[in-house]
Amino acid sequence: MDKSSEHNGSVGLLVDKHVEYVKSLDKRHDEIEYWMTEHLRISGVYWGAVSLHLLRKSDALRKDDIIDYVLRCQNADGGFGGHVGHDSHLLYTMSAIQLLVMYDALNRVNAGKVIGYVKSLQDETTGEVSGDVWGEKDTRFAYISLAIMSFFDAVDQLNVDGVVEYVRKAMNYDGGFGSGPGGESHAAQVFTCLAALAIAGRLDIVDRERLSGWLAERQQKSGGLNGRPQKLEDVCYSWWVLSSLNILARVHWVDCQKLCDYILSAQDVDNGGIADRPGDIADVYHTCFGIAGLSLAGYDKYSLAEVDPVYCMPLSVIKSAGLRKWVDKVPENWEH
Amino acid sequence: HGRRREALKEPTVDEKEQNRQRVEKYCALNSSVMDLRSKSVFSTDALNQTRRLLELNTELHTVWNYRRQVFMQLDIWQDPEERQRVLEEELRFLMEIIMKNIKSYWMWNHRVWALSSLPRPEWQRELKLVAKLLAVDARNYHGWDYRRFVVARLKETVVDERVVDEQEFAFTTEQIKRDCANHSAWHNRSKLLPAVLSSTSEAAQASMLEEETKLILNAIYTDPDDQNAWLYYEWLVSMQPSDTSRLILLRNKVTAIRELLELEEDSKRPLIELVIALTAIDCMRPELVTNSEKQECLETLSVLQCIDAYRVGRYSDMNRILAQRWGLAANSSTTKPGLAVVEP
Repeated sequence: MDKSSEHNGSVGLLVDKHVEYVKSLDKRHDEIEYWMTEHLRISGVYWGAVSLHLLRKSDALRKDDIIDYVLRCQNADGGFGGHVGHDSHLLYTMSAIQLLVMYDALNRVNAGKVIGYVKSLQDETTGEVSGDVWGEKDTRFAYISLAIMSFFDAVDQLNVDGVVEYVRKAMNYDGGFGSGPGGESHAAQVFTCLAALAIAGRLDIVDRERLSGWLAERQQKSGGLNGRPQKLEDVCYSWWVLSSLNILARVHWVDCQKLCDYILSAQDVDNGGIADRPGDIADVYHTCFGIAGLSLAGYDKYSLAEVDPVYCMPLSVIKSAGLRKWVDKVPENWEH
Repeated sequence: HGRRREALKEPTVDEKEQNRQRVEKYCALNSSVMDLRSKSVFSTDALNQTRRLLELNTELHTVWNYRRQVFMQLDIWQDPEERQRVLEEELRFLMEIIMKNIKSYWMWNHRVWALSSLPRPEWQRELKLVAKLLAVDARNYHGWDYRRFVVARLKETVVDERVVDEQEFAFTTEQIKRDCANHSAWHNRSKLLPAVLSSTSEAAQASMLEEETKLILNAIYTDPDDQNAWLYYEWLVSMQPSDTSRLILLRNKVTAIRELLELEEDSKRPLIELVIALTAIDCMRPELVTNSEKQECLETLSVLQCIDAYRVGRYSDMNRILAQRWGLAANSSTTKPGLAVVEP
């Protein structure tokens, strides 16, 4: 039975509805949306899997089906596409490897092939990382390359200094980070840069005070968070902003209770799932980051699993994989 | 993002049929394109089909990849004039669909590829295009990122790069004059100012920085609640050539804040900026901050805990740290103390 506890008249976390929502995603063949998002299906599976794991309902999806699907998305170049038969890209390779790690099936891939693929995307001279062979550069790819390599304990096979330098160049006068040198600060890029620096053990280059202040200002009157000044709040920033604050050991600089209220108000009470803001149509992306945000914010009316802020995966999985070392490399005075 | 839930109603038989046809049509086209691709077909038919599919869905990055491969495999690709022609046509195609999804990374990537492959790219025309786009949506970072790509390539074609930097700097001035709260313009300005400064004499640099300070102060007075303007001011402080000028700017900031607080007492942003400014002075020259100013900082942080409750955690951290640094009692009062007007 669904435990929806009352809190200030608002709805609690609709656990069972969200589980049903995630389970229903693969069956929506009559919806054009289903087909038009086929190119990122593997990421959709990842977002759904994280949602279920954090809700402690991972049994709701069949592990073998997921592993099979992931493996079928791998291409000859060692990378993974967003769906079977689609071109490789770091974005989808990341989701693939995250899924395999979550389902304890990393040994089902040839590590050398994946490592080779990631390495091939780093420019030997500049250290910049492309998303795929077509050369788009973005700090997201700096993060993903480090994260994937860390899963295989092969971070030192990358030019880490080069990646760090690229991230440093993306830092702005407000303490935030953009998509690359010259890019405007944006909470999602802040997350990717902080996570990259955390894995590389180089959080020392961060302007902690300025960035924490900038992130704290993301909380709007509604309690929700936006991604940069003057923009609308959106549930997904519950993740990008809060994970960043968590890495900076400053989660308490926003009102977590109000944030939880906001996230809960964006739930679809009839069909399950969480939307970008109250009253909008839910999708699995916002469901994932809404639940992850609730976990980081310490939502206590339901026992959510803890989530790692660098990998956006269950903390228990990250610990088992020996990937919490990043915490030891955080600057000493950051009080973690 | 941003799609509203309608009140739940069962779709009509007609609507269901329409949806089914839409799905069928889309899936058929998608299958056809993926089939051609799997057979490595590089033909004008492939161009036509991929175009129709991408018009329906700009996010199919595998199809963009394939479309590029088709172009590059065609015989005409080897002829510079033909290549120029087809790529200009491609740019027109992109302009048609760009308004559908102005935030599509894949579409912008494709445009970058097209410009990079053009025998005779027209960078100035691209600048004008982006300017139009930014007039519609001044905060679109895809547009700004693309503009930087164009500027970088433009610089490769000119004799003196500084002219381009100055042109871009002037573009941000235009944006700011139109709307001094345009964060994206200020951000880009922060990347250009150092380059523009370094290409002038020291005397000219001092005068430029002074002008810049006036400009940002104007923005601050126009909207004291705009966090970004204060951050830019702080950055200008850090850009000063000496501690002396830094301290002058910080004191000017405190003066400006006091003026603003006279107009509106419990104004959050000026209050937090007061603490930030006095703390910054204290970091450089502790002897230049009076005891009553230190006390004022702690009291201000208490006020902030009341008027900006979401960020109580931040203010109480700052309170604790400053109190410790200055050997004062951390102010835990929750009532609003009267703020004396303090002579600096």
